[in-house]
Amino acid sequence: MIKYTLRRLFSLIPVMFIVSIIVFMIVHLTPGNPATLILGEESTKESVAQLEKQLGLDKPLLVQFFYWLKNILMGDFGQSVYSSEPVLRIILNHIGPTFSLTIFALILILLIAIPTAIFVVWKRNSLLDPLFISVTLLGVSIPEFWFAILLVLGFAVTFPIFPVAGYAAFGDGVLNWIYHLFLPAFVLAAVEIGLVARMLRDGMLEAVNQDYIRTARAKGVKESIVLMKHVFSNALIPTTTVIATIVAGLMGGTVIIETIFTIPGIGQLLIDSIYRRDYPVIQGVILFIAAIYVLVNLFVDLLYTFLDPRIRYD
Amino acid sequence: MKTAKHRKVGFIFVLCLLVIASLVGCSKDTTSKTAKTGGEESAGEPTNGGLLKVAYQSEPDTLDWSYTGASPTRDIGWHIFETLFALDKNFAIKPMVAKDYKVSKDGLTYTMNLREGVHFHDGSTVTAKDAAASIDRWRKVSSVGKITGAYMDTVKAVNDKTVEIKLKKDYKPFIASMAAPKSALIVIPAKIANEAGEQPLKPEQLIGTGPYKFEKWDKGQKIILSKFKDYSARTETDWGGLTGKKTAHFDKIEFQIVKDSQVMLNGLKTGLYDYAQNIPADLYDVVSSTPNIDPVTYINGYSTMTPDKSEAPFNDLKVRQALNYALDKQAIAEATYGNKKFYSLDGALFDPEQTELYSKEGTNGYLAYDKEKAKKLLKESSYDGRTLKIIYSNNNENYKKISQIVKQQMEEVGFKVELAPYEWATFLDKWKDPKNWDLEVVGWSTRFAPSELGMLSLGTESSGWYKSDRWQDLLDQWGKAETKEQKKDILTKMNQTVYEELPFYKIANETSLDIKSHKLQEYDNWLGQRFWNTWKSK
Repeated sequence: MIKYTLRRLFSLIPVMFIVSIIVFMIVHLTPGNPATLILGEESTKESVAQLEKQLGLDKPLLVQFFYWLKNILMGDFGQSVYSSEPVLRIILNHIGPTFSLTIFALILILLIAIPTAIFVVWKRNSLLDPLFISVTLLGVSIPEFWFAILLVLGFAVTFPIFPVAGYAAFGDGVLNWIYHLFLPAFVLAAVEIGLVARMLRDGMLEAVNQDYIRTARAKGVKESIVLMKHVFSNALIPTTTVIATIVAGLMGGTVIIETIFTIPGIGQLLIDSIYRRDYPVIQGVILFIAAIYVLVNLFVDLLYTFLDPRIRYD
Repeated sequence: MKTAKHRKVGFIFVLCLLVIASLVGCSKDTTSKTAKTGGEESAGEPTNGGLLKVAYQSEPDTLDWSYTGASPTRDIGWHIFETLFALDKNFAIKPMVAKDYKVSKDGLTYTMNLREGVHFHDGSTVTAKDAAASIDRWRKVSSVGKITGAYMDTVKAVNDKTVEIKLKKDYKPFIASMAAPKSALIVIPAKIANEAGEQPLKPEQLIGTGPYKFEKWDKGQKIILSKFKDYSARTETDWGGLTGKKTAHFDKIEFQIVKDSQVMLNGLKTGLYDYAQNIPADLYDVVSSTPNIDPVTYINGYSTMTPDKSEAPFNDLKVRQALNYALDKQAIAEATYGNKKFYSLDGALFDPEQTELYSKEGTNGYLAYDKEKAKKLLKESSYDGRTLKIIYSNNNENYKKISQIVKQQMEEVGFKVELAPYEWATFLDKWKDPKNWDLEVVGWSTRFAPSELGMLSLGTESSGWYKSDRWQDLLDQWGKAETKEQKKDILTKMNQTVYEELPFYKIANETSLDIKSHKLQEYDNWLGQRFWNTWKSK
């Protein structure tokens, strides 16, 4: 198990290396450059050249790449072209809001999706099931931005229960945190709840007709225990995978929701840096997102062994 | 059979949801249609204290107002910093940190006295040494300062409150340049000016003399300013613009970075913000029908189209003339800006509010639309029927529309045209090389001297590589002009030059829209947002 984990962690290195090459190339081959942007439309050629030199952008691409890579290996992700702040600190400053939003959305997803799926499976032969399918389909198909605008109009403008936009850190008080993050988290969750609930329901319905379930029932186990202990836990593996992808996606920042609710998260940071051609920050954020994906997947693979003891990696 | 029924139930449910959703969406209109309660009520006694929340669209790169001419830097920066001289409401030059000045007979020595007891935010008092160091830094970092610096020789502090500047040659717009609110000559402590040198000021170096001081900058989120308790105001009344008596009524101002204009509008409706900057003009009707919000409109430069004069076909004056006759600017402006409140057709090089610089004389060529003349001139010209490329930045809806209509109008007289939209950073890159474009559409913010007009700065890409001895000569004359009459005369000649040589085409004056809470009293916009001498009623 430990050996496996280490091996997986070790495999991070080639993945990150390839990602770094791709990111660096895409970022630097995109037209536009920060020196021109900083100096504006009336800049002279000389002043642009001077600023490029100062920013180290006048060197050949390959030299710049290895210089950047060397610094990363020493733990230095460079600094923003604009604010001269270290990239790592900038990313850390923006993780808070994104992490908050992810956790809040995840809680909502689990709180709503799991009981709903169990309930639907329990009442599987009623009208509830097709209704459930329609609603989940609706949830998955609603465009996020539209739903967000609608919720803002309904619950922030017409009935001002929540604020129109803004962010409060968890440290500013739990109630304040919930007050600011409920709407954006709900929008993010709404899309995923359908997906998770559907996954769970399908998995459970599949398990419901298995031989071991029949055996359990024949033994006289109560239906609620059958559902929770035997059906539910067997349907968890595919659902966990879906949840993991969702978490990785949310941690990578959600540009649209962060913009609509003016939440200073990773998504905002990335899009701003792209518009400003803040190369070191773009590169840093993409590497960060790639690392999140790899680590979340590793975590899920390890989680499988707990959820299903039959799974062994060694 | 059963499943079909189930599907139907599901469908009806979905339908119900959609109907409810659309009803929620509409209800907003009905609540906001109540009649507006007129403009400003009588303002009454100023209320001191409180927090002003401003939704600000574009985050500045720096707050160093000397370093860049960008308007976000300027509009936030001028709460923190002040200049030696500044423009008043009518764009006339008035002293600010300076008390007065004298010019020697030969026009080469400027002696200026500073006001007594002006405090920096760090508690120290402004001395002639600080002013001299600030001027020296401005010569190095500011675009206006660099132009002016070419005429300057030495700057020195004669005594504690007197600065003496020697010029190499006579340069009449010297004080005007020092007062220009673009890459401005901000007064900062000598120590900071020397430390910063040619680098932009770091947050801890943002020490000025303004009514508000810099407090905190959460990058990507907000900039917080707080009231400067020891502010040394001028004793006169508020002269408007950037000078006269300034009083900070708020304890704090928060500039929050908000990208989405719908969020701004909703935020103002619900009291989350007190002021929002840069709202699309299409929202004007919604804004003016909302009871607790007032629209704030102000002229902000103009839209232009510039031909690349370094290459065929626009190196041929006849082709440029043909294009001038081909453009129906009335139609372009109507289709682009819609509401008449947001544009005006005016061929002058400066805004009508700039009384010292505005002249309409000699702009007859501005509305010269004549399709037949255009066709005829184009036939006589050297244009060989090649496809011409118009570049523009697709970040701005207006420039996109202008480009599209221009294309249509050009094709009607026989030009072949293609559009090349780019995202802003790419656009700036493409602009640099004449190979990439034949025509370029962009807007220019208000300028304060003929030498600052970007679309006419000789030999650069921003003017489409304009070369003209006639224009250079007029710029030189401007540098020597003293009286109002002389200046008016040169401005007329400048207009004539522009409409005869056609280095660029002016489309229309543009008006920007901001919105403010009804509670904000005696608010006065000038070029941008100005949050002194204004307060929030209870």
